[in-house]
Amino acid sequence: MKKTYLSLLILIMAFLTAACGQTAPQSNAAPAPQQGTAGDSKQPAPAGKEPRIASLSIHLTSELLALGITPIGSVVGGDLKAFLPHVADRLKDTKQLGVVADPDMESLLALKPDVIYADKDYASKDVAKYEKIAKTEVFDLNDGTWRDTLKKVAKLVGKEPQAEAFIKDYNAQAERVKKSLQSQIGDGTVLAVRVTPKELRVFSMRRPIGPLLYEDLGLKPAKGVDKISKDKAFEVVSQEVLPDYDADAIFIVLNKDEGAQKLFQQLQTSPIWQGLKAVKANHVYVVPEQPWLDYSAMGAKMALDDAEKRFAK
Amino acid sequence: MNGSQTSREKRAWRVGLILAVICAAAVLVSLNTGTIRMPPASVIRTFLGMGTPDDKMVLFDFRLPRILITMLAGIALGMSGAILQGLSRNALADPGILGLHAGAAFGLMIYVSFFQTMEGPVSLWIPLFTFMGGVLTAALIVLLAYDRHRGVLPVRLILIGIAVAAGFSAVTLFFSLRLEDTTYAFTSRWLLGSVWGRDWVHVAALLPWVAVLVPYALSQSRSLNAFTLGDELAVGIGTDVGRKRLLLLAAAVGLSSAGVAMAGGVGFIGLVAPHLARRLVGPMHQHFLPIAGMLGLVILVVADTVGRSLFQPNAIPAGIVVAAVGAPYFLYLLVRAK
Repeated sequence: MKKTYLSLLILIMAFLTAACGQTAPQSNAAPAPQQGTAGDSKQPAPAGKEPRIASLSIHLTSELLALGITPIGSVVGGDLKAFLPHVADRLKDTKQLGVVADPDMESLLALKPDVIYADKDYASKDVAKYEKIAKTEVFDLNDGTWRDTLKKVAKLVGKEPQAEAFIKDYNAQAERVKKSLQSQIGDGTVLAVRVTPKELRVFSMRRPIGPLLYEDLGLKPAKGVDKISKDKAFEVVSQEVLPDYDADAIFIVLNKDEGAQKLFQQLQTSPIWQGLKAVKANHVYVVPEQPWLDYSAMGAKMALDDAEKRFAK
Repeated sequence: MNGSQTSREKRAWRVGLILAVICAAAVLVSLNTGTIRMPPASVIRTFLGMGTPDDKMVLFDFRLPRILITMLAGIALGMSGAILQGLSRNALADPGILGLHAGAAFGLMIYVSFFQTMEGPVSLWIPLFTFMGGVLTAALIVLLAYDRHRGVLPVRLILIGIAVAAGFSAVTLFFSLRLEDTTYAFTSRWLLGSVWGRDWVHVAALLPWVAVLVPYALSQSRSLNAFTLGDELAVGIGTDVGRKRLLLLAAAVGLSSAGVAMAGGVGFIGLVAPHLARRLVGPMHQHFLPIAGMLGLVILVVADTVGRSLFQPNAIPAGIVVAAVGAPYFLYLLVRAK
């Protein structure tokens, strides 16, 4: 009998732990400013007032920031579990809505946004659910470049002139960076490789890196890069095949964590690496994950800023 | 004999009642947990149809489906473990340890590779695929553990289960490497035991399995009691050993596969729940089967609630919470068994 009660006691304790646990998150989930009811939140925002937008894609968040609009809520980076570092300082008052693959529906509802921006890749199946909360705009980020997405966003928020100006500035800056790059590597071919703790990934022509390097900066893709399937953002390769790309310059996108750093160090000591054309010519550029992998207006612009600084000398 | 029987029954009822209260409380707390603050009073008001539209959406669209899935999966896993332990006469039998979860995962991987999607009405098929995976492993394990003279050997069952599980996990891993990035991320989370079902369609996918197999298992408690005596005695008291064993095994596989389909590879519930149940109400199956189911429910609902609230904003899968508590308990059992 004693054992019976002991077991039940343990159960009750476990259950109390759960009960205590749920009070903690509620305190930081400060109720969002509640404006209007569910009914009128679906109305378009009155002109002159910024719409209250909830973004369910980190890239759409960056598009909005490029137009000077701060979303009231946004999903966070999947690996970081936080806003992307290069835009985090502009999102201080933005509510975190979980990761894109599993957004926090309740936070979204509590925010009472006027409109929800979603990425077709992730949201297509849940649009009906989002529509119940607010009008939902779905963007296909694979359709065209970030310029197309930026224009679409600008049209919705009535900031088309800003978008045009942003793109113009960007193109001019890209031309400048292109020149300084050319002075360094001429018309040599370029390879972009991401080093993660587990593997090496060669980027394809697709977003995030492809359009930036091979279109905006007019660099020539290394041998085989254009052969990577159009459906893939990257291909996992082993170290031995790096020489096959025969690249004149290599961009290394290095993950922040220790494992990736270690792998990169180990790679640098290998004879294969030291024999690479780009390494011998000292044309290896190590760039941070962000903003380089945030393929959006803001991300591309900041990646360009980074490149401009590097190649200015 | 008769006296002890009735006192056991009384005790089973008493424990069952207390557990029912704990179940209800656990479910209420779980319904109460989330980003939007919702006091129990407004939960009840919303249930009675008097809540605000927002409360209704939070409760019926976001929280209730997930909690129902967690409840059903918990019952399924607890019962499945109880049936397996009875059948194999081995207190360490658990659908996870026996390799059924690995088989179910294999089934899911086939499904994901084939249909590419986990959403909408197609997801009704998921339990079927995990079930087929489970049946495949179960058949293999029984086949390999069968000795012509002595029947299925309990010790061999566990060892072969582990080996078969390793084999299936390897194949599953192979398939998972060919998946797209996002699907891969999803399946790897799923394999850890994350309650992923969010919609009513997922409740509909799970409910029939539990609604059919749980009553069937309960109706067979006498046969299960006979099995614990050993095959010879079971035959002696008139049990159709071969057929019954197969049917009950299928029921256990069905329950665990359906649970795994919606809640992921949550281990240890099938081990811990029957154990606790037996300590609470004794070894008769008519008593401890329902208790094991209820304990499974409480464990999974509490684990899921803890997992998604305590570690905000990065919810951790329920399976990890269960394993964190279940693994030490398993070791404790092993040490005590000596």
